[in-house]
Amino acid sequence: MSSTSDAPVAPPQPSLQPNANGATDTNGLPSSVFTLPQTAQLEALYTIIRDKYTSRGDFLFYSDRIIRLLVEEGLNHLPVVQKSVITPTGSTYDGVGFEGKICGVSILRAGEAMEAGLREVCRSVRIGKILIQRDEETMQPKLFYSKFPQDIAKRYVLLLDPMLATGGSAIKAVDVLMENGVPEDRIIFINLISSPEGLKTFSGKFPRLKVITGWIDQGLNEKAYIIPGLGDFGERRYCE
Amino acid sequence: MSQSDLGQELHDSQRASVSLKAQKNTLLISHGRPPWYGPDGKRISDAFVIGVGGGSASGKTHVARQIDSFYKYHSPEEMKLAFESKFDFDHPDAIDMPMFASCLADLKACRQTNIPVYSFAEHQRLEETKYAYGATVIIAEGIMALHDPELRSLYDLKVFVQCDSDLMLARRIARDVKERGRSLDGILEQYLRYVKPSYDTFVRPTAAFADIIVPGQNNSVAIDLISTHTRRQLQERSNSFRPRMVTSSLHAPSLVDEPLENDSNLMILPSTPQLEGIFTILRSKDTSNQDFIFFTDRLSTLLVEQALQFLPYSPHTVTTPLGVECLGKTLVSKYLCGVSVLRSGSALERGFRRVINNVPVGTLLIQSNSIDGEPLLLHLKLPVSLRHRSSAEDTWVILLDAQIGTGAAAFMSIRILLDHGVRQDHIIFVTFLVARTGGITTLHRAFPHVKIVCGAVDNEMREGWLEGDRGEGNEDGIGRKIWVMNPGMGQIGDRYYL
Repeated sequence: MSSTSDAPVAPPQPSLQPNANGATDTNGLPSSVFTLPQTAQLEALYTIIRDKYTSRGDFLFYSDRIIRLLVEEGLNHLPVVQKSVITPTGSTYDGVGFEGKICGVSILRAGEAMEAGLREVCRSVRIGKILIQRDEETMQPKLFYSKFPQDIAKRYVLLLDPMLATGGSAIKAVDVLMENGVPEDRIIFINLISSPEGLKTFSGKFPRLKVITGWIDQGLNEKAYIIPGLGDFGERRYCE
Repeated sequence: MSQSDLGQELHDSQRASVSLKAQKNTLLISHGRPPWYGPDGKRISDAFVIGVGGGSASGKTHVARQIDSFYKYHSPEEMKLAFESKFDFDHPDAIDMPMFASCLADLKACRQTNIPVYSFAEHQRLEETKYAYGATVIIAEGIMALHDPELRSLYDLKVFVQCDSDLMLARRIARDVKERGRSLDGILEQYLRYVKPSYDTFVRPTAAFADIIVPGQNNSVAIDLISTHTRRQLQERSNSFRPRMVTSSLHAPSLVDEPLENDSNLMILPSTPQLEGIFTILRSKDTSNQDFIFFTDRLSTLLVEQALQFLPYSPHTVTTPLGVECLGKTLVSKYLCGVSVLRSGSALERGFRRVINNVPVGTLLIQSNSIDGEPLLLHLKLPVSLRHRSSAEDTWVILLDAQIGTGAAAFMSIRILLDHGVRQDHIIFVTFLVARTGGITTLHRAFPHVKIVCGAVDNEMREGWLEGDRGEGNEDGIGRKIWVMNPGMGQIGDRYYL
């Protein structure tokens, strides 16, 4: 693969090339953070879902496209083993086989929006749920509910939440997973949009946990919303 | 369109020609259209155009129809040629000569055209036009067919149908009363006031331009002569320009001068552990149907996502729900559509639909001739933006087919899009596999600006044997030699659909 003047820039191979993004503050990002190739096409997808005038139908369609790409990228961080098969022509093909059981865990409720995309890529995958909300007294994220597959400790976990702002609830979710016996390096956190602050906090705490993010935005405003962001993902997906 | 639909269409036109009822503006399809281009991708010959002039009710339509039927129901070679269209400009008030000339010139040059539709019932030209493309033989018939010098220059053969006035009038009365619901008085008045003077002044003199003058009745010998002449002309053209090269050199493995990986217009999906794993499943002969379909859909989604990177994007600012302005990008193509090469190209359609919503997807049915493996265009149904040349020039087309092995179907489908006016660099061919030693080299040489997105490149083309299906043109079910990709994914269409 190569590129010419009129062809778009060849995308970096995501799995092999971390931090290949065009965000303003990429310096000093932890090496455990991976982005999708920042192509014009991906930017156009984000432009659609950021636009406040985008209809719910389009919001669903275009966010699903990004989610599928994110899940595909997340799966590339799972191990494979050598495997040879016989082709219909009778030849031997030396390929690879998927190794290790996986499950998804979505952080309610916006994370559920990523489940359809996950199942389009991983058929019939088990999916656990976590509900985390801010405790009105302590102002700290608090676990309200969780339900996981019984053997979650033996599985790779794809943790799903579309937005990584301060990182508070994601950190809490990882704590819960680790309490349930999932090793840190067996968790892959997948999100659509992240803030540089959130990434630093999160990855600073869990350096061996891989983060797949579609786009790193400018930062957080005074209310801790991601700027420019796309508003409240769950609201736009389910309610508006 | 399915095979049975094609059969139905054949049957209909057969019946029509037997009844001698003038069924005008029909596109007749029989055995499919063999390649009309050389290995350089260029057109090798024009369509053969026959102009049939003569008075009203002189028997022009009958002559035209007999010429048609000659191609359709004789030997297999002749059947091949009977992919032809016919259009009518019988009525002087319906004639817009420059428009007809330009339609005819388009068809002659193997481009698409949109022919005006005339309604006898309403005495006028309708708003609608009829899309036509892909004729090898074109018959233009009408009273004024030989009148216009511009039109005459387009004909390869000019025929004038000569008939006595009284016979023409008798036929005219019979026809107009029965088929067009007019009264005898009206018919006679129109005849004396317009038809007869116009015939004497404009129509009869055009007989001087004709190559052949055919009697309006008992003319089977003349028709036989015309048909034989036409067939010989076509044979000469195809013999001199298509000496089996499309089949042999294009389709057979060739030596590769340069690795395909260096080709800037061929984009191979970046190799990742997941992609490798998907291909391992798809290549295995032991994979279940269910798995084959699931992983094919996953792969086609990735391929179409990759293909969209070739579309043009420009800066675009939006406001987010937080009221913040954000500079992003937006797609700027005026028209976008998909075209899938049936049957196996449809295996990419689910992936296409996951990535691109709300755009039309056209189809091309291209099958290999069961005897020599030459590709045949059997049917096409293209999105509206491609039917008109002006919009086709602004259309981006995602062309879908399962693999590029010999390249024969890819070659034909690209040629069809170019015939319609699509720009080469607006065509993105999306496919699972490309054979390194197959037709890809010839394809790239012929169409250097077409972009190809594939999942993997296979190193080898092997000779295989395909058991023949018993059917039309192959009564004994004779098998034939085919080229098979190795390691490949097997017969992708069969594994996805059967």
